[in-house]
Amino acid sequence: MKRIASKIFVIFCLSALVVASGDTSARDASTAKKLEVITTLFPTYDFARQVGKDKVNVTLLLPPGIEAHTFEPKPSDIVKINKADIFIYTGKYMEPWVENMIKGVSNNRLLVVDASSGIELMAGGDHDEEGENRNEEDAHGHHHEGIDPHIWLDPVNVEIMTSTIEKAFVQKDPANSLFYAKNAEEYNAKLADLDNRFKAAFAGCKHKTIISGGHFTFGYFTKRYGLEHASPYEGFSPNAEPTPKALAQLIDKLKTSGMKYIYYEELLDPKVARTIASETGARLELLHGAHNVSKDELARGVTYIDIMEDNLKKLKTGLECK
Amino acid sequence: MMNIFQQIHEALQYAFIQRAMIAGCFMALGCSFLGVFLVLRRFSLIGDGLAHVSFATVALALLLHAQPMVISIPIVALASFAILKLNEKAAVYGDAAIGLVSSLGIALGVIIASTAGGFNVDLFSYLFGNILSVTGFEVWMTVVISLSVAFVTGLLYHDLFAITFDEEYAQVSGIKVRLINRILILLTSFIVVLGIKIVGTLLVSSLIILPAIAALQVVRSFKATIALAGVFAIASVIIGIFASYVLNLPSGATIVMVNFLFFVIAFSINRIKG
Amino acid sequence: MNIIEIKNLSVKYRNVKALGGVSLQVKAGDYVGVVGPNGSGKTTLVKAILGLLPFEGRITFQGMSFSQFRMDRHVGYLPQKMAVQDMRFPATAKEIVASGVYCCKKFPIRLDAHDYTAAEEAMRSLGIINLKDRPIGKLSGGQQQRVLLARTLVHSPEILILDEPTVALDPQSREAFYKTVEILNKEKKVTVLLVTHDVVSVGKYASKLLYLDREVIFYGTFESFCKSAQMSDYFGPGQHVICHRH
Repeated sequence: MKRIASKIFVIFCLSALVVASGDTSARDASTAKKLEVITTLFPTYDFARQVGKDKVNVTLLLPPGIEAHTFEPKPSDIVKINKADIFIYTGKYMEPWVENMIKGVSNNRLLVVDASSGIELMAGGDHDEEGENRNEEDAHGHHHEGIDPHIWLDPVNVEIMTSTIEKAFVQKDPANSLFYAKNAEEYNAKLADLDNRFKAAFAGCKHKTIISGGHFTFGYFTKRYGLEHASPYEGFSPNAEPTPKALAQLIDKLKTSGMKYIYYEELLDPKVARTIASETGARLELLHGAHNVSKDELARGVTYIDIMEDNLKKLKTGLECK
Repeated sequence: MMNIFQQIHEALQYAFIQRAMIAGCFMALGCSFLGVFLVLRRFSLIGDGLAHVSFATVALALLLHAQPMVISIPIVALASFAILKLNEKAAVYGDAAIGLVSSLGIALGVIIASTAGGFNVDLFSYLFGNILSVTGFEVWMTVVISLSVAFVTGLLYHDLFAITFDEEYAQVSGIKVRLINRILILLTSFIVVLGIKIVGTLLVSSLIILPAIAALQVVRSFKATIALAGVFAIASVIIGIFASYVLNLPSGATIVMVNFLFFVIAFSINRIKG
Repeated sequence: MNIIEIKNLSVKYRNVKALGGVSLQVKAGDYVGVVGPNGSGKTTLVKAILGLLPFEGRITFQGMSFSQFRMDRHVGYLPQKMAVQDMRFPATAKEIVASGVYCCKKFPIRLDAHDYTAAEEAMRSLGIINLKDRPIGKLSGGQQQRVLLARTLVHSPEILILDEPTVALDPQSREAFYKTVEILNKEKKVTVLLVTHDVVSVGKYASKLLYLDREVIFYGTFESFCKSAQMSDYFGPGQHVICHRH
């Protein structure tokens, strides 16, 4: 239904698009002006801020509080992208709408950046106890439909993303390349530190499985730190419904594991987590997937690292780590 | 075979399944009773239509930092009256009136959501419920709403029958047609708004339409039609939940499929009888 | 004694005068045939009498209002078949006939055994008692019409208003229907207002003729109609057809 809503609005404003898309005057990337950067997702928005600081003007396309997986751009968004210097998206699996949209962009000075380049993608889907992946790459390395797009939840991946962004900034604004390089290096150092703290934290935990009532977002994260993840959903569509058996199995798993916490995801009503919690006596704890932030969080200037630090705390509690 | 019974027994051990059963059955009762009248009056899609209006009201509520239900219920009730008015005064057919109000709802919701500049939570997840996530409190709500609906339709049975069969004749008979229509539509808007929140739009909408249509295949008396709609609805909830457990499918959609199956069976029997 | 008195009735429908300046009295026991061309206001007159649309002027029933008369003395109404709900409606003949008692019940309506007995009686009197548990959609046109007629008779009305009742009936059923109405009029002394296009049948059964064309063109007994030179001019050979049958 959200698609229908978005589509109606798109059709209604199509006339505005026709008028506005005539504008092809791209901004001069002169050294006096800031780089205009548009990102599609909160994490890349944050990374771009960290690397560019006051020399870039970063805009996040996704309005706060909106669920990321079903977002579709408005005509005014496409106009914004046309007028920008750099457009950063998170990869074709996270934003499948980008490929078609890019073809329609008239500004050939726009630099389109795939933030997932250079990152080894993995298949999506739930890991069951034997660690079996239900969606697998075939022998030729072609990815099947279930590719996990949540690359930003592994801090080591983020280091690569930061470098990609830095390269883009340098390409568009070579005069400030040292500035960007320094910021990227500093940020990557913070990320490396975060990575180490995660490693240390998870070295000695009573439990190894993150049980959540939400979607399977932490694939790259759990792979990095040798953890398991259990959720009642298969795939990432937030419109999918959990089956009763999946819920029952999760409830049993929680009970047998003796864990006292169940995690829920950001921005969505934690219905499923609550149901599981009420059946097991577990307590609810937020595990923020950093897709997007709330209006309040955005206003407060919450960062990716803030979110991950908070996640670290919550996980240490729930997994009962030393 | 034994395995299925074992699994059913196993399913019933879980509290969330028990709540789903109870809430589902009561919702089925309320929705199917109203559904017979609504389907015959060409208001079948009112479940979907009012769901779209709910979308706008929730957007408004979040914008005003108010409780969604406090905003939703009155506005949806007003929207349902608007549908009636269009039907009465502008001679717009029931389904078209619903379409009009429904489209308006979506459009307004999208505009509000756009101009709000974002929210603190995702609208949709708060708007649409799921039968498997029904809370204890919500179970009580379904019991209360459904028994209220059953009580009122029982009380007004003959009035509703008269109006549904022949509105003009009902008026000649001195029945307060406008009042009864408003009561019917008000009851509908309550059960729809609360139902969407508790079990989701798909279930509410389909429980209004499908059991009624299946019952209409088995043409007997009007009393029998209503009773049969109730039976189909409740049976589809019970069978649907168990089937979804055993077959590992989402419950809401499975209930709808079972409902549809009842329709097919009823239709076939009707056909065979000639 | 006048059972219906209409004084200066006029009905406007979207600024068009559908009916104007209608004044007439119907005596108890009259069988009035209401005829006229399409759009002449026949159905409008019926609806005004039944209180279904707003009008100017006065309509009284032995001094009472419509709703009073309906409650105490009973009015039967057989609507135009086209206007009625889809006849595939899921109800048995008995349920529909029984709804004839709704007119005279206080809110909330409750039916008891007595009501259902009265319904069966009405059906018996029209020879359709065997159809009582049959869904109305499974009946023939003529049977359906008799079910709707039975609905009007449950409370033994003093006035019976029928709007184009034989439009969808075959000639045989039509005859049977008219015979039934005649019996009600002659034996039960029911006052009948029958709106129809079927001028020939009207001539055969009615005692009075009301010819409408947005106003009263003629209202009176058939005797005076047939003797009137004025009507002869107006109708031409048609008059002869009506009068011949009468």
